[in-house]
Amino acid sequence: SSEFNASYSMGRLHIEHMGGERVFSCANCDCPLTNRQQLISTRFTGATGRAFLFNRVVNLDTSELQDRVMLTGRHMVRDVSCRKCKTKLGWVYEFATEESQQYKEGKIILERALINESEGFPDPVKD
Amino acid sequence: LLELMENGSGCLNGSGAADSAEKAQQQQQCPAVQLSERNREAVRVIGQYLRELGLARSAEALVLEAGCPLESGAAAQFRSSVLLGDWDGAEASLASLRRALWRESSWSEIAFRLAEQRYLELLESGAHIAALCVLRGKLTPLQLSPDRLHRLSGLIMCSGPEELRQLSGWSGAAGGTRQALLDSVEQFFPPSVMLPPKRLSVLLDQAVRAQVSRCRHHNTSLSPDQLTLLADHSCQAAASVPSVCSQVLDAHQDEVHVCQFSPNGRFLATGGRDCVAIVWLVEAAANPPGAPRVRHHLTLRIGEERGGVAWLAWSPDSRLLLACAAEEATEVIVWEAETGDCIKKLKHRDEDSLTTAAWLPDSNHFVVGGNRGHFYLCSVDVGFEKAWDFIRVVALATRREDDGGTAVLAADTFARIRRYRFDTMQDETLFREDGPVMSMSISQDETLLAVCVASAGVHLWDLRLRVCRRRLHGLTHGAYLLHASIGGPNQDFVASGSHDARVCVWHRGCQAGDGAQQHLLPDKLSGHGGLVSCVSWNPRHHGMLASASDDCTVRIWLPASLAAAAQAASADGTGPGGAGFSSNGCCSSTVSKHQPPPLL
Repeated sequence: SSEFNASYSMGRLHIEHMGGERVFSCANCDCPLTNRQQLISTRFTGATGRAFLFNRVVNLDTSELQDRVMLTGRHMVRDVSCRKCKTKLGWVYEFATEESQQYKEGKIILERALINESEGFPDPVKD
Repeated sequence: LLELMENGSGCLNGSGAADSAEKAQQQQQCPAVQLSERNREAVRVIGQYLRELGLARSAEALVLEAGCPLESGAAAQFRSSVLLGDWDGAEASLASLRRALWRESSWSEIAFRLAEQRYLELLESGAHIAALCVLRGKLTPLQLSPDRLHRLSGLIMCSGPEELRQLSGWSGAAGGTRQALLDSVEQFFPPSVMLPPKRLSVLLDQAVRAQVSRCRHHNTSLSPDQLTLLADHSCQAAASVPSVCSQVLDAHQDEVHVCQFSPNGRFLATGGRDCVAIVWLVEAAANPPGAPRVRHHLTLRIGEERGGVAWLAWSPDSRLLLACAAEEATEVIVWEAETGDCIKKLKHRDEDSLTTAAWLPDSNHFVVGGNRGHFYLCSVDVGFEKAWDFIRVVALATRREDDGGTAVLAADTFARIRRYRFDTMQDETLFREDGPVMSMSISQDETLLAVCVASAGVHLWDLRLRVCRRRLHGLTHGAYLLHASIGGPNQDFVASGSHDARVCVWHRGCQAGDGAQQHLLPDKLSGHGGLVSCVSWNPRHHGMLASASDDCTVRIWLPASLAAAAQAASADGTGPGGAGFSSNGCCSSTVSKHQPPPLL
């Protein structure tokens, strides 16, 4: 079901994987992004509706820095897109002008409609 | 101690010119040359060397002319007594040497060893009564370790010299044990009395090893005692480090992502986005010898739906080639390299993603895996054999272990390099990297592991000590997978791809800095027109390097001296063979050498 055109990438992309028991991936190309352990909050809103705030996400490209006024105040953000298929997925907070919003700095918003949740497995290594 | 040495040194203490002239007339043995303390030591060491070579008369003449005895009179007496088996004489000499010892307490140890040699020789020759006398009268009164005494007395029960030698580990009177006894005793005396054994050989060896450790391009399999003493050792870069592109192979239609030489150095396999694996033959030109060239052998298709060749692995016997496809890779293919026959297509489940593989030493079993969590042991005979669950595999290698089994080394998505035994189902974490692992490559002698870490460089791990020996910097980082390769006769060279279209070559540096993690900068080879993903050293033609690039070509790099010879060979009319092979001369390639930074 993936409609992306892979031929414009050069070399073989280095795709990381964070593992975890519930894995989130790009809905368009199934590239792994993050997992439920990294989920901080589900109560955000993006262009397509509900959005999740995550602590750490891999395999993202970031845009140039943008100055954006949101419901919660003025922020400096970068758009993030899937490294593999270039679909825009959300944004990352780089700077929040209001002190109460500073907890979001460095965290990533992914829009719920643009990601899939699937079953992963626990890490069997104990040490 | 002074009186022991006075024989030689007395006449050299001349206080005035007149004095010494007079003495020179009086004593015929007085040398014509005034020797400093260092010179006298050198003479003694040279004299010992000559004597050890069997040139006894030269040694004596040297002593006479230099007026400098090799060792004290009593020591010389002791030495000759031991070598002749004159035990009473040896004891007497030992008594007179007693004052010269570093520590008084070692006297009883020396006396014990002397008596022990005497005892063993008597036993060997069958004189059991005499041996018993030595045991009771000489060894026991010294009151040293009762264990040793007990072991020695037990040897009396031996039925013959053969059994005696076997049980005791002593090689017999004729087996060099008298010399060994002297060597072992020397440590108890200061060098002025008795020289340490083989002193000049030891010094020469140290000097050569120091030169080797400073050799920046060291790339020879000769051991230090095979190197010449006549000039300081230094490998010529032109002869050992690849710097010239001797061939550009453009048979691929799209980006080339993998290149691997076979373990016997006869084949090169390349593959990439055009879904084709090409096998090339490596031929060393007969005249001049050692100038290797590559020519096309076979083109093997893996099928268009697979997204390209992701990995190629040669079986250890260089007979079979295994190919893994890119992300949606459910199947791996094995061909026979010589004929191109497809001998196995291995698929286990439809949801598998098998993007990397490594062979086990029997050239029948191999492991495959991918980052979706599939990790299988398979074989050419049987197919799928065993799975190890829930490990997201990034890279694989195999290593023989002491108990004869084979360990599979796997790097996973948690940046761990772990060791798996599929026979005992035992696993263990060897070490952790501090960044995401992109790929991994083991040296041919299985002692070193090169790990490519994203945004960090190539880290060299010692697999026996389990420490990181080197962090290699200088390659250009980016979003794409890079592979490294360890090569050279002593695993001294590491090469890797780079995002700036250049090939990086490091010499991993001297052995003397063990434990200190040295940071080294590479030589960079230019010529490719796009990202260089993968490199491979030829295990047989050291110095020959292949590189695979997004510019759809594979380049062969040789040391400057070999490349000149290779070009000369091609000019003789050994033109291109198969399709898509272009042989041009030296491409515009430059080498930029970085100055090594001061050692941290």
